[in-house]
Amino acid sequence: MSTGVSERTRSTSRGRVDFGRGVLTVRRGRVAVRLDLRSVVVCLVLALVTAALAVLALMTGSYGLGPGQVVSALAGGQTGLVHEIVVEWRLPRVVAAVMFGAALGVSGAIFQSILRNPLADPGVIGFAQGSYTGALVVLLVVGGTFWKLVGGAVLGGMATAVAVYLLAYRRGVQGFRLIIVGIGVSAVLDSLNVWLILKADLEQALAAAAWRAGSLNGVSWTQVAVGGACALVLLPAAGLSSRPMRQLELGDDAAAAQGVRVSWARLGLVLVGVALTATVTAASGPIAFLSLVAPQIARRLARTTGITLAPAAFVGALLCLSADYLAQHVAPTPLPVGIITVVLGGGYLGWLLFTEARRRL
Amino acid sequence: MTLLARRGAALAAALMSTALVLTACGGGTAQEPAAPAAATRTVQAGNGAVVVPAAPQRVATIGNTTLPFIDLGGKPIAVTAESDSDVARLPAEQQATYSSATILASSADEVDMEQLAGLKPDLILVQVPESEFESLKAQLTAIAPTVYYSLDAEWKELADGVADAGNVTGALSEQKAEFEQLRTALQQKYRTIIDGTTFVDVTRYSSSDPGTFAIADIGCSEIARDEVGLNLPQAAEGADPLAWTALPFEQIGELSKYDVITYPVDAVGKPTEPFVPVVETNTWKALPEVTSGNAVGVFCPGNNSYGSVIRYLESLDGALATLPARG
Amino acid sequence: MTALSVRRGGPGSEVPGPRRRLPGVRLLGLVVALVALAVLLVLSVMVGSTAIAPSVVWDALVRSGSGIDWFAVRDYRLPRTVVGLVVGVALGLSGALIQALTRNPLADPGLLGVHAGASFAVTVAVGLFGVREVHGYLWFAFAGALVVTLMVLALGSTRQGSSPVFMVLAGLCVGAVLGGARDALQLTDPAAFDMLRTWSAGSTAGRPLEVVWPVLPFFAVALVLAVAVSGSLNAMALGDETAVAQGVRLLRTRVLAILALTLLAGGATAIAGPIAFVGLMVPHVARWIVGPHQRWIFVYSAVLGPALLLASDILGRVVIRPGEIPVGVVTAFVGAPVLILLARRRKASGL
Repeated sequence: MSTGVSERTRSTSRGRVDFGRGVLTVRRGRVAVRLDLRSVVVCLVLALVTAALAVLALMTGSYGLGPGQVVSALAGGQTGLVHEIVVEWRLPRVVAAVMFGAALGVSGAIFQSILRNPLADPGVIGFAQGSYTGALVVLLVVGGTFWKLVGGAVLGGMATAVAVYLLAYRRGVQGFRLIIVGIGVSAVLDSLNVWLILKADLEQALAAAAWRAGSLNGVSWTQVAVGGACALVLLPAAGLSSRPMRQLELGDDAAAAQGVRVSWARLGLVLVGVALTATVTAASGPIAFLSLVAPQIARRLARTTGITLAPAAFVGALLCLSADYLAQHVAPTPLPVGIITVVLGGGYLGWLLFTEARRRL
Repeated sequence: MTLLARRGAALAAALMSTALVLTACGGGTAQEPAAPAAATRTVQAGNGAVVVPAAPQRVATIGNTTLPFIDLGGKPIAVTAESDSDVARLPAEQQATYSSATILASSADEVDMEQLAGLKPDLILVQVPESEFESLKAQLTAIAPTVYYSLDAEWKELADGVADAGNVTGALSEQKAEFEQLRTALQQKYRTIIDGTTFVDVTRYSSSDPGTFAIADIGCSEIARDEVGLNLPQAAEGADPLAWTALPFEQIGELSKYDVITYPVDAVGKPTEPFVPVVETNTWKALPEVTSGNAVGVFCPGNNSYGSVIRYLESLDGALATLPARG
Repeated sequence: MTALSVRRGGPGSEVPGPRRRLPGVRLLGLVVALVALAVLLVLSVMVGSTAIAPSVVWDALVRSGSGIDWFAVRDYRLPRTVVGLVVGVALGLSGALIQALTRNPLADPGLLGVHAGASFAVTVAVGLFGVREVHGYLWFAFAGALVVTLMVLALGSTRQGSSPVFMVLAGLCVGAVLGGARDALQLTDPAAFDMLRTWSAGSTAGRPLEVVWPVLPFFAVALVLAVAVSGSLNAMALGDETAVAQGVRLLRTRVLAILALTLLAGGATAIAGPIAFVGLMVPHVARWIVGPHQRWIFVYSAVLGPALLLASDILGRVVIRPGEIPVGVVTAFVGAPVLILLARRRKASGL
């Protein structure tokens, strides 16, 4: 395996192409993969920070446990409540935050790339509203247990996504029409949700609203396993489709000329994006804003021209983990993680806008 | 996917599987023994048969079990928050009990489980929506024996269960006796009124939209209907309670088809603050019941424990006594 | 989450060629709309959750006297109609303003953070200050909407002056942050949550006229501003450069337009709570009828806005008698299918 880094000073007569940025080429046998150097470095740094934060999150909690106890609990040396707290409560929450954050980051990146709009996120097809409607119907009308709630939420979200897609379909789906139909359907569902919540008992309404905010509170290994299984299938699928995604960004005609089956590729990408969001929503309720903000932050950190999936995944993971940490330990009362992601994400994006606006001509 | 992302995913999977293996090998959810093994009992609750300590010293109440437990004389160490208006209607010593407990959170799903575990309760009493309990069950049962009642549990059943599990049955039997005495007294004293008059109980919540009120078929008037036998409107079988429909003030005029109107007042007899806008409308003042003295205020301190129901019945007694004589 | 492609200019509209609309047609349409509005005003007073005979309604309006039905008409239906009229005009106009400002037919007055600011301010009023009556939180809502829009203006200004793209993005951010803060406050205070879930539905019921009079001067100012900038907004539809060439002062126009729409949308939200879709739908329909003429669009929006609002309100009163559906819930059900239908037309109506 040989690894080559092309530097700008080397001339093209050596057979290397000057991309204008650092590039990492990995060759194994007859397969070569070209990675953007800055993206790789950014991902590495993000991974390290995430790992450090994960360790910190495992050590922190209202039930005072020393680092030694935590480490021995992880290694299996503790029993009873201490083991319960570290391995059954804290650890799945950290793993879930990282995994779901990555899934949401990738999902947002896909939508922003397809719709060619920095403000796009899976919510544009009404998924969050639809899943909330499904959850509310189960909670308030049918009267359900937790797994029924999850089923209802996923069904509601999927049905909404399908409905929006079909309504926007007119010999192919254009981004503009999809967005308008999405807004229309979302607004109807929003009103329906307001109405359902109004008609409910206060305790049930509060429980529903807390679910709506997106919370990793009490997440169990079962949920992590199920969500993880889905994510571990979908994330590589997303990775494989990053190439057609990049090609679609050049425009439908250019992509078709390069051999991409445009409508199928777009449909496939939408499916992967929706499925990733559905996975997270099923486990924790809709966590807002991560899918909107993570790809934008990733793009600015890695200084890429388009939307890239891997940095978005890492940024999403770190953002979700930090938001959960803040929601649990820094807020005066424990809050759902979704609230912190909204505040942090919105604030950071606002600050980025502010500085960018100042520089812009 | 990039090399590093693949490595990251592998690491996550390895960590996860290690933890899963450790969980299987580890001690499971064994609890630390808090009292000698002999002093336990079994109670039947919404979550089946639960083994609880015979004389629990440190009880945590989550959801709607807080006020009934305090009403029975229990002293919880940790509670979920109750609204200020509810607490204000409690007798002074119950308010003191509530203030001395640690307030965990404003609702069950926001409770910090580690904080609760740190308080080392030996019994947890819970009444929350069923779906909410399902997501909390594993963590609660790991901390202490957990007794759960669904929101459908009738208040008498809840009082019995809470008293049994929380070991405060002494106060319960006294309250039950007083309640029975009061109930039969009311039924005898107001026989003619109960048989021949149609009642309606109206209310308005502090959260109600301006310009709306509601007919209360749940809450204290439920006691009046089921226990004393007053003829009050009731929602159809299986339908939502009438109290959940916000009626516009225009509908106040429709109340004239009843004989007597009862409305909520505070402990000194003035209409409760949320209800004041209703009383101030011209429509209310023009109602035949209001002009003929057939609109009476009743104080409702709560309807899910014997203590508050007893105070309600006393207030109802006073209100019914002021009704003009009927032929 | 809304996703918008805000265009920087360039004609996306249908050039009024062979389908040029005569001024006569526009005037006729306006008369029809006014008649429809008058009918709806009458219906709004006559229809309610209790059945009252028209003769009794007439008596109640013109003669003085008392009686339960008379009170019903005078105390409840009449104020409600007036509120619906005023709020409808405000919402329709603010929608037309923002769509002209951002050159985006998908823009909604809530985009610059008006709803978010008002909701957050009301949550603070209810949760932290314990305010319970409309008179109390009215001013909180108004102030919240104004402050937020100013923040968004400040955030969205580039060196050259404010840019619609940045303002929309800034509005999204500020709206999201405030929304999160509001949710946090609500989840920790169930009483505030309970009250806010009714306020969030948006309703014209139960708002006494005393709540409307103080806001009317602001609406009057906004109306004057809107008329003043309508011509410049017309010129800006073809792009910034073209507008400047025609002598339009971009920054001044934008600031005045934003001020006008904030006063209108903020006032409407303060009175009736957040009502979506009226500001989005009505200018769209207006443009469909009159074409890209800003002054006509403003006039039509001012007439069609209350028409839509009153129609939704009447529907909400009747559909689940004796209860009522809040008007904010009904407008979405009425408006969204129309919007989707419009989107599916072969030529989506641009600016």
